[in-house]
Amino acid sequence: MTSVVGEMHDSGVGAALKRFDATDKVTGAAEYPADRIPADALWAKVVFTGQPHARLIALDTSDAEASPGVVAVLTAADVPVNEYGLTKNDQPVFIGTTQNDRTEVPSNISRWEADHLALVVAETAEQAEAGAALVKADWEQLEVLGDIDAALSSDTLIHPEDGLDSNRYHSFKIRKGDLAKGQAATTWVVEGTYELPYQEHAYLQPEAGLAYYDSDRRLTVEVAGQWTHEDRVQLAHALDLPEDRLRVIYPSIGGAFGGREDISLQIVLALAAMRLAEKGDTRAVGSIWSREESIVGHHKRHRGRIEATLGADADGKITFVEADVVLDAGAYNYTSNKVLGNAHIGVAGCYEVPNARIDSSVVYTNATPGGAFRGFGGPQAAFVAETQMNKLAELSGLDPIELRRINTLKNGSEFITQTEMPEGVSLPQVIDRCAIEARMGEPMRLASQFSPVASLAPAADALKRGRGFACAFKNVGFSFGFPERCEAEIHLLGGEEDEYPTSAILFHAGAEVGQGAHQAFIQMAAEATGVGSENIEGVFSDTASSGDSGSASASRLTWMAGNSIQGAASEAEKQWREGARPAIGQFRFVPPPTEYLDPETGAGWPNFTYGYVAQAIEMTVDTETGHIVVDRVVSTHDVGKAINPVLVEGQIEGAVIQAHGYALSENLQSKDGFLLNPRFSGYLIPGIGDIPRKVESVIMEEADPLGPFGARGMAEMPMMTYAPALVAALHDATGVWFDTFPLTPSRVLAGLKRVTG
Amino acid sequence: MKVDLTVNGSAMSADVEPRTLLVHLIRDDLDLTGTNVGCDTSSCGACTVHVNGESVKSCTMFAVQAQGLEITTIEGMAADDGTLHPMQEAFRQCHGLQCGYCTPGMVMAATSLLKQNPSPSEAEVREGLEGNLCRCTGYHNIVKSVMSAAGGA
Repeated sequence: MTSVVGEMHDSGVGAALKRFDATDKVTGAAEYPADRIPADALWAKVVFTGQPHARLIALDTSDAEASPGVVAVLTAADVPVNEYGLTKNDQPVFIGTTQNDRTEVPSNISRWEADHLALVVAETAEQAEAGAALVKADWEQLEVLGDIDAALSSDTLIHPEDGLDSNRYHSFKIRKGDLAKGQAATTWVVEGTYELPYQEHAYLQPEAGLAYYDSDRRLTVEVAGQWTHEDRVQLAHALDLPEDRLRVIYPSIGGAFGGREDISLQIVLALAAMRLAEKGDTRAVGSIWSREESIVGHHKRHRGRIEATLGADADGKITFVEADVVLDAGAYNYTSNKVLGNAHIGVAGCYEVPNARIDSSVVYTNATPGGAFRGFGGPQAAFVAETQMNKLAELSGLDPIELRRINTLKNGSEFITQTEMPEGVSLPQVIDRCAIEARMGEPMRLASQFSPVASLAPAADALKRGRGFACAFKNVGFSFGFPERCEAEIHLLGGEEDEYPTSAILFHAGAEVGQGAHQAFIQMAAEATGVGSENIEGVFSDTASSGDSGSASASRLTWMAGNSIQGAASEAEKQWREGARPAIGQFRFVPPPTEYLDPETGAGWPNFTYGYVAQAIEMTVDTETGHIVVDRVVSTHDVGKAINPVLVEGQIEGAVIQAHGYALSENLQSKDGFLLNPRFSGYLIPGIGDIPRKVESVIMEEADPLGPFGARGMAEMPMMTYAPALVAALHDATGVWFDTFPLTPSRVLAGLKRVTG
Repeated sequence: MKVDLTVNGSAMSADVEPRTLLVHLIRDDLDLTGTNVGCDTSSCGACTVHVNGESVKSCTMFAVQAQGLEITTIEGMAADDGTLHPMQEAFRQCHGLQCGYCTPGMVMAATSLLKQNPSPSEAEVREGLEGNLCRCTGYHNIVKSVMSAAGGA
């Protein structure tokens, strides 16, 4: 792809440039939401109900209101439309005793320990905290449905307003081919029941934000999120304001990973600024959550249970798949219906499957909501699909790589949804490349020995080594008929006499959550306009200056934004040629429309493109203590075109370590609707001493026919395959299969003892 | 309580409560917001600063314990003319950051590490940064940054 307007330079697509925001980040100048709260701001404290399931009988805020420094206590009575949600308005902004006719969601039921009861606004953070402790509530306890089993066996309904007779509220089916015929042709059968754990995002920056009226009297929220325009939609709904009276700005964002896709402080802070302004107090209102409030107060990667059966003929060719997928949605939908869709189409794996029966559903419980987290239902499904394949390899005696080669999806394959895969299926090449790079056919090279206790010598006899492999796809972009789109605007600047523009401005709403999206945007704009990166100014993540970009999620942002930037550059070029200065190009990119799945058969075209990944893992386990050390990870990705190769490597390395934590140490505990370990002292994300000894990122560039400059989405891919590859490696080392994780030392030991006695 | 201390080379004083943590003095009273807060349990290291040249998690000290001491925060690392400290430059060059929230603490901890051990092995870098969490990078480029800074020092 050459530039449409200007001269060539080497700061565009493919250049390993330093991030333009790096200097601010290494000097502490980068401002995160908490840093933006002005000195004269009022401070707000969210009061959680602390009630997983209870009816509010009485709420008394009088003592809180009388507390020193408190200027307002906001409750359900203050909210114009007391409901919100990303895909379904099923969650009250506040649990309260008042209910107006603007919502059908009962306001008086707390369904989650972190439901909001009130917002205490005071002169100082300490005074807000003191006031919050004085909010009094009387509750009538309801049956707490703490997990899927409780929710499915009880007559108690968490959302009776839905009019359903069960807490199972959303389902998908797949009926493909002829199951009986497939079973009749089957030689090898693998069955398993898999328990999938929660995962907490643990972005380093806890939720924080501020709300105020800007100079144009727009109610403005500055917060860390993933989709400015969607935040504004939800603000407009709950506050009953037109969208053009609202503004959402993202300053620097301290990580997200899906965990900021849903609302945290946005609505309550804006509500406070709005109600206080009505009383003549126009000070900004700010709030910062503690780590514990962050972990308790936002959604998680879904836990769930998947029962699966896989059949293959004597040659190893898959004959059928059956699966029952149940995910724990928690108290509110968030994105559970969409996450379920991804798990549903992923559970049969990245293979040609002629016959299938799959039933998938989500269930409301009184536990923490499940929602978006890097992979979005894909990792749970891939764990099952790939573990089933690895078990099939063991059972049949076939080589696990060869088994994948003969079954893999390829160009022209029919997908599990009975439609052809979008063009550009590079999975066969990705599998082969990973196998070569990992030297799968050769003996493992010796790894250094370790002792789980630093002061003790390694117990050489107890150490066992193993190697495992897994591969997967993940959709890029919004699925299932969602009206996917992304907007960009480019201004080309220069004099009338200039043949080429001398500089440019890019307006884009896409969220820079740490991944380097804005750097990628600038490089793509540089490639598309011919203006060097250093001469392109970015104006980002502000609803006041940009159109809707869609979210930083679904491995979509570089892909969608790149297409929008190419379109805007092309429009601007036309203006430039006609002599306009500045030459302004606006573009709204719309990819090929996707389809919702047929409710009875699951037939449909759910996604316009996919990314592909394969990983091989070598590990050592101490069979006396259950400790695992990962010696080597080969993470192989077709990224289509690396817009900035070092940023791509950074995404792979970071996601591999998040997946390492998911597979090994991150063990979030929930009991009767309460999280038991919502702190970094008890929820262990990998530290630098815990990570694999070696991570090799293998980047392939098989162009995506629809991708900007050929690029594919990739940020979620390394998350997909790590847990099943590690479980396969542990099996290779010990002969024991683990159908759940994280593989904590105690779980590993218990598993080994169960088999060896 | 009044506390007098030196911050980034300048004498400063503040009136704090006895329970005020050093990190809150730095962020709220001195408005040096480059030092971040990531947890409540001294687990993450985002708030790491130098106290008399040694790296310290500033959430583990009361502000009044800093009486008479010299504090350096991330804002004090670059030269007056804006030239980055070699460790800052290494993190920038080697892509040792993504979201950047852990970065100030990482830079402070890594600088302190090199002061004690100017030519560390990769294993020693890993050991030296065990108190600082990063959720984005997978640490690979952080290790690379520190090794690069050590090589250039």
